[in-house]
Amino acid sequence: MAKTKTNSEDYLRMYRQMVRIRSFEDNANQLYLSAKMPGLTHMYSGEEAVAVGICEALKTTDKITSTHRGHGHCVAKGAEFKEMFCELLGKEEGYCRGKGGSMHIADQSNGNLGANAIVGGSMGIATGSAFTAKMLGKDDVTVCFFGDGATAQGLMYEVMNMAALWNLPVIYACENNGYSEYTKTEEIAAGSITARAEAFGIEAHQVDGQDVLAVNKLATDLVARARKGEGPFFVELMTYRYHGHHVGDINREYYRTKDEEKDWKENRDPIIRFRAHLVSEGLATEDELDALNAEIAKDAEDAVKYALDAKYPDVSEVDMHVFSDIKHALA
Amino acid sequence: MPLDVIMPALGMAQETGQIVAWHKQPGDPVSKGDVLFEVETDKATMEVEAAGDGFLTDVVAGEGDDVPVGDVIAKISDSAESAAPSPKAEEPAPSDDLPDGKAVIMPTLGMAQDSGLLVAWHKEPGDAVSADDVLFEVETDKSVNEVNAGFDGYLGATLAEAGEDVPTGQTIAIITAEKPANPVARKSAGVAAPQAKVEEAKPEPVAKPAPAKQAPTPATNGRVLASPKLRRLALEQGLDLQRLVDAGHSQPFHVKDLDALRALPQTSSDTGTATAQASGRLTAKIACEGFTDFAAWAATTAKLTDMSALLAGLCAASHGSDTTVAVESFGATTIYAASAQLSATQPTEDAAKLRVRDLRFTAISGVAVGAEDVPTLTLTRNGAGLTITLEFAPAQLAATDAITLLSNFAGRMEQPLRHLL
Amino acid sequence: MREITLSQAVNEALAEEMRRDDTVFIIGEDVAEAGTPFKVLSGLVEEFGTRRVVDTPIAEPGFMGIAVGAAMTGARPVVDLMFGDFIFLIMDQLCNQAAKTHYMSGGKLSVPLVLRTNMGATRRSAAQHSQSLHALVAHIPGLKVAMPSSAYEAKGLMKTAIRDNNPVVIFEDKLMYQDKAPVPEEEFLIPFGEANIKREGSDITLIGTSSMVQVCEKAAEILAAEGISAEVIDPRTIVPLDEKTLLESARKTSRVIVVDEGHQSFGVTSEIASRINEKAFYHLDAPVLRMGAMDVPIPFSPALEDITVPTPEGVAEKARMLCGGEMINAA
Repeated sequence: MAKTKTNSEDYLRMYRQMVRIRSFEDNANQLYLSAKMPGLTHMYSGEEAVAVGICEALKTTDKITSTHRGHGHCVAKGAEFKEMFCELLGKEEGYCRGKGGSMHIADQSNGNLGANAIVGGSMGIATGSAFTAKMLGKDDVTVCFFGDGATAQGLMYEVMNMAALWNLPVIYACENNGYSEYTKTEEIAAGSITARAEAFGIEAHQVDGQDVLAVNKLATDLVARARKGEGPFFVELMTYRYHGHHVGDINREYYRTKDEEKDWKENRDPIIRFRAHLVSEGLATEDELDALNAEIAKDAEDAVKYALDAKYPDVSEVDMHVFSDIKHALA
Repeated sequence: MPLDVIMPALGMAQETGQIVAWHKQPGDPVSKGDVLFEVETDKATMEVEAAGDGFLTDVVAGEGDDVPVGDVIAKISDSAESAAPSPKAEEPAPSDDLPDGKAVIMPTLGMAQDSGLLVAWHKEPGDAVSADDVLFEVETDKSVNEVNAGFDGYLGATLAEAGEDVPTGQTIAIITAEKPANPVARKSAGVAAPQAKVEEAKPEPVAKPAPAKQAPTPATNGRVLASPKLRRLALEQGLDLQRLVDAGHSQPFHVKDLDALRALPQTSSDTGTATAQASGRLTAKIACEGFTDFAAWAATTAKLTDMSALLAGLCAASHGSDTTVAVESFGATTIYAASAQLSATQPTEDAAKLRVRDLRFTAISGVAVGAEDVPTLTLTRNGAGLTITLEFAPAQLAATDAITLLSNFAGRMEQPLRHLL
Repeated sequence: MREITLSQAVNEALAEEMRRDDTVFIIGEDVAEAGTPFKVLSGLVEEFGTRRVVDTPIAEPGFMGIAVGAAMTGARPVVDLMFGDFIFLIMDQLCNQAAKTHYMSGGKLSVPLVLRTNMGATRRSAAQHSQSLHALVAHIPGLKVAMPSSAYEAKGLMKTAIRDNNPVVIFEDKLMYQDKAPVPEEEFLIPFGEANIKREGSDITLIGTSSMVQVCEKAAEILAAEGISAEVIDPRTIVPLDEKTLLESARKTSRVIVVDEGHQSFGVTSEIASRINEKAFYHLDAPVLRMGAMDVPIPFSPALEDITVPTPEGVAEKARMLCGGEMINAA
């Protein structure tokens, strides 16, 4: 665990945000397993320190782009359970009025430009967001979350090239969870991930993505530098996803062992590690943290219940929001 | 051999270039690489260099001229004198036995026509012809056309025979200025297009093409081929298109045939005792009918126990006004003075203006019995829903009214409660 | 009224809108000093600088993605895609991202972006630089598609497009850049979804898009000499489509030919013909005919290329057949 100057309020907030993500995902998984959720979803469990470590370094006006595995980013950037669960269930009160679902949650009020169901699809958007900030003289920083699998997409190289040419305030955050869908990363990525960015002259870092303090420290530094015009930056965060590629990906021994999963969960879990740190540093007691966990669990449970009872959008909404200026596109 | 100096294509969407300035004057010696002139394209001014050594001659475009790209604007010649008229590629010697004159070619008359069938010559070799004389007839994919000679003179040679299919553009006749001593008549096959010193000219088809050849009417299986608009108008006016067929008019029929149809003597099929053939028939299907439940509800709640009266009332409401409706159900017929207000619908002695034939409880799944004395709505079962057929004579009901009646009635049978709202 | 070229009209529209709104910027390959290969943008970088007239590497998906992100965060990009054929390169950014963002976010995010590109064969550029791919774009809900038929439309539609809060794709016919037309000096906009009746007639309706409007007008001249009165309509935008005006004309004349330079099959001609068939069937006295580009890759040789696109003579020939009551395509 990296040693930094402690700030108990910030630390407890980071802990709380990580537990909120885990709690959200546990409930989402249950909703899926109990056939209450339409479609499928991709669990962020195990990667919480990445989203929280980075988003805690951002201001509300800073932007992020997210991925198909995006619930963690969404929570970390400040979203509420109720609107999120409503969206997962396709309800009218969801962040996108039920039109996006799990893979497209966008929460622009907190600077979340949206999850993206095309692997690597948001790299242009994140870079464009940074372009706007620079062109209009705003000091917003944009973080582009993507997985190791997305490093195989050509778009990444095109936009990193331009971001480097134009010194854009964007941070490319590669969540390397070791697997590109159902394939080991080493089978899809030749050479070094960070060297890809370095080829464009972009400063690149690798960090333990299970250590929220290490992630946050690096992110805080890079965000501040990007704000001053020193961007772009690239960070490879070494992490792990506890579930399969998606909720239904149960039998996965053909690509990874149960022992491996057990090792990450028992020995490298970001929440367990940070909790131990908080207790050992005297920032919180076990009882306090248990109470916090219980409070979050109840929040999530209430939000699920609310979302299950919430109403679906009226069918008349089906042709709304196709165009911003035409109320009903098919009228 | 002189070099051509060509207006270059420099821009991307450039069709012409403007000569801003000549850097050499006619007769000036030039060396390869010398700037010959400046040209302005859509945005830029460019200097154009000489492509070879020699003397600038034959300048045909001056400063300020807009010249299409690709055009020759000057030459670089071996001497300062104007280049000799450029010797064209050797023209093949004229065939000895073909007279000199103007070539008449097989014209392109259709859009995608490769050849034309020479139907007949209207002149014999040696005949005097004037430009407006019909010279020959040609059949294309679309029609037979008479083609004029296009030139005054004498038919010096015909290079194809009637019945031959000749590629378009091929010379098929030569018109000479003088009366030919030995007029030629040949088949097209094996005859190369003559390369005689002839002025190519495309004969125009005569102003009014000969009437299009009657296209054979395709097999219609007894169906009349007519445009949708004509069908609608005929239906609205109670006219039977079959009469055009019987009178020998060629199909397909369009609105322009309406006058001919009107002019034909009336037959029994148009009005009066309508036959199935001239009757209108519209069908509506509803996947799930709501009438059964509605009738039960009306019986218990509103004490309206006469199901036939309900049908009559819904029919009148669909029609848009109070009327008399005969309802046939289980073999019995009752005539109602029907009103949209269901409770006001009562049996009457008057003649019915509409009929509802309720076959929901029979095994019959559909009807096509033809128009009867009044427009008739027939209900047949269709799974959980209904098929409703409206048959009528055109004189009884205009098509648009028929559509309205059936649409409204089908809607009420699907959701009778809508009627109450 | 003064006459200017289509190229100047586009240039003026861009300059006026960039003066009016500081968030408007141009991005694309060789848009700055080079002013594009067609010289449409010449002079803009001198006025607005490289901050707002942005040259990119040759990376169409990359700069399109950046434009989408910029549009989502407060800027109004005008993307210059050098050739319409390159649309295939940017499909994900255009169709999966730009077109769907407003809808997927339940109306919260908008993508006020203009994609300027071109269309049109007979420039002897062969199959990869000659396509007219507007139907491809029009197929995707969420994208508006404008097809200016003269300098006047080019200016008015461009200004409307820049002010629209949705992604708009404008297809300029690259053979018309030097064509002049009267364009008012004073400011004007052309609303989307309003067809222009270029010529009134009573026997047949010729619906043409982009350069095919001229083809239809020439065909109408030929037909007028033969006593056939043709109405010529330019829809100006195909999304939204002014169905009302087209149907009214079809009902009036009973005969319609739709002429468009996209490939005939599954294209704009098919779509418009279908709508007329569905909604004006009982008013038709002849089948609605489609005339598009031949369903072949555009060939290089002038001898072949010229026959792939509709001509005035060809349109007049078909119109003659319809008005003469000839049997069309009877089996």
